[in-house]
Amino acid sequence: MSTSVLAVEGGEGFVSPGPSTFVYPPIFGEGTFLTKPMLIVILGSALIAVLMFLATRRASVVPSKGQFVGESLYGFVRNSIALDAIGKPGMKYVPYLATVFFFLATMNIAGIVPLVQFPATSRIAFPLILAVISCVIFNAIGIKRHGLGGYFKDMMFPPGIPWPVYILLAPIEFVSTIIIRPLTLTLRLTFNMFAGHLVLVLFILGGEYLIFEYSGVVGIAAGTVAILGSLILTAFEGFVQLLQAYVFTLLSALYIGGALADEH
Amino acid sequence: MSDPVLWLAVQEPSPLAPEPGEIVVGIIAFVLLFLFLKKKVYPVFEKTFAERTAAIEGGIEKAEKAQAEAAEALEKYNAQLAEARGEAGRIRTEAQSQRAEIVEEARTEARTEAQRILEAASAQIASERAQAMAELRRDIGGLAVALASKVVGESLEDEARQRRTVERFLAGLEQADEQAVAPSGAAG
Amino acid sequence: MNGEINGSLNMIGYGLAAIGPGIGIGLIFAAYISGVARQPEARGVLQSIAILGFALAEALAIIGIGLAFALN
Repeated sequence: MSTSVLAVEGGEGFVSPGPSTFVYPPIFGEGTFLTKPMLIVILGSALIAVLMFLATRRASVVPSKGQFVGESLYGFVRNSIALDAIGKPGMKYVPYLATVFFFLATMNIAGIVPLVQFPATSRIAFPLILAVISCVIFNAIGIKRHGLGGYFKDMMFPPGIPWPVYILLAPIEFVSTIIIRPLTLTLRLTFNMFAGHLVLVLFILGGEYLIFEYSGVVGIAAGTVAILGSLILTAFEGFVQLLQAYVFTLLSALYIGGALADEH
Repeated sequence: MSDPVLWLAVQEPSPLAPEPGEIVVGIIAFVLLFLFLKKKVYPVFEKTFAERTAAIEGGIEKAEKAQAEAAEALEKYNAQLAEARGEAGRIRTEAQSQRAEIVEEARTEARTEAQRILEAASAQIASERAQAMAELRRDIGGLAVALASKVVGESLEDEARQRRTVERFLAGLEQADEQAVAPSGAAG
Repeated sequence: MNGEINGSLNMIGYGLAAIGPGIGIGLIFAAYISGVARQPEARGVLQSIAILGFALAEALAIIGIGLAFALN
């Protein structure tokens, strides 16, 4: 699975999986385009579309099971994220936020789905796309609402502070809003998935190594414990994956709400 | 792997570097998903939400309407009841006053009737008395003369004298009689 | 297995970097728990704020692990 592990297996001892675990060669051999993360993103998106479309078939006031699940997820983003964090004007951004939530939750959960077992969002490209889109959206909203000067003035010069502080505060606020926000959105999600997947791979490969290579009573016992631990970690990972999708969506909503608000 | 130089030499791919191919795939997948969901899925959800809200609100509205109707009916009933009660009271007082009137009327009528009967009776009595008196006066003359002539044995042929004598006698009799009758006539 | 300590110094740095966020997350949830204990009806509001604070504090640790792997 991991090139670095394969490279040293003939040599000495066990080498823990590293960033190379996350690098997949193109599926159809060298020179082709499609890799496993890309395939997960494409199939995952298609899956969301199909499931959601099926959920809306024969939609009625009294929902069917599928409709109920889809409605609950959408209602969760609509009521608990958009309306709570932004308020009434948030209704306009529910489609974007809901899509972000579904997209991220699916790509995250791919990390614990048997046979797929790779969170596509641990590849920095995918969270980066969404973070940049969110950043563009909330800045555009702020500029549209307050005007270019007004928006940056609100952002960089919050009222009620003695003026010399602005020398320090203004650049910090600017950098934090324009650069740090999308950056932390990206890194938080990416490395949550990265670290979670790494720990899972470590437990499974380590357990495998202990049982089959180290062997002996101690090795087999410790390896079994590690494999069982990986099951518990899988459950925990599922929780973290949903939580991170929620956090990403909630922060996007909060940034949009902040840009819409009168006072920063 | 204990050699740090060797460790560095194994060029690990940086997890911080986004891959262009993945960016392209990600953008396309996300945008297509967004457009599809926005066009086909979310409006349906919103519609069912709105329908559900409308259904619930409609139910509440209906219940409120029914309640208002019930309250109105109750009010109407109460008003009717109060009206009926007032009417009954009015009729009762009216009847009471009417009864008093009737009783009073009857009493007056009875009193006047009694008065009338009394008067008629006293008038009849008076006339009968006068008639009896006149009869008596006529007979008494004859009787007295006959008696007197029998007593004195002398026929009083002279009619004129005879009458004068009787008249004189009667006048004296009447005077005494008048004095006796007057107090009983005032009592009637 | 040859008695030497080996591995990357980055990971020691990451371990140190995780101390701060660890304490911070502990404080956030301690405050959340005592808040809910005091006012159970405020749970909904506090929950999203607590998760938000958790995410912001955790980001530091997570960025730490990312950089530990990224900066060779």
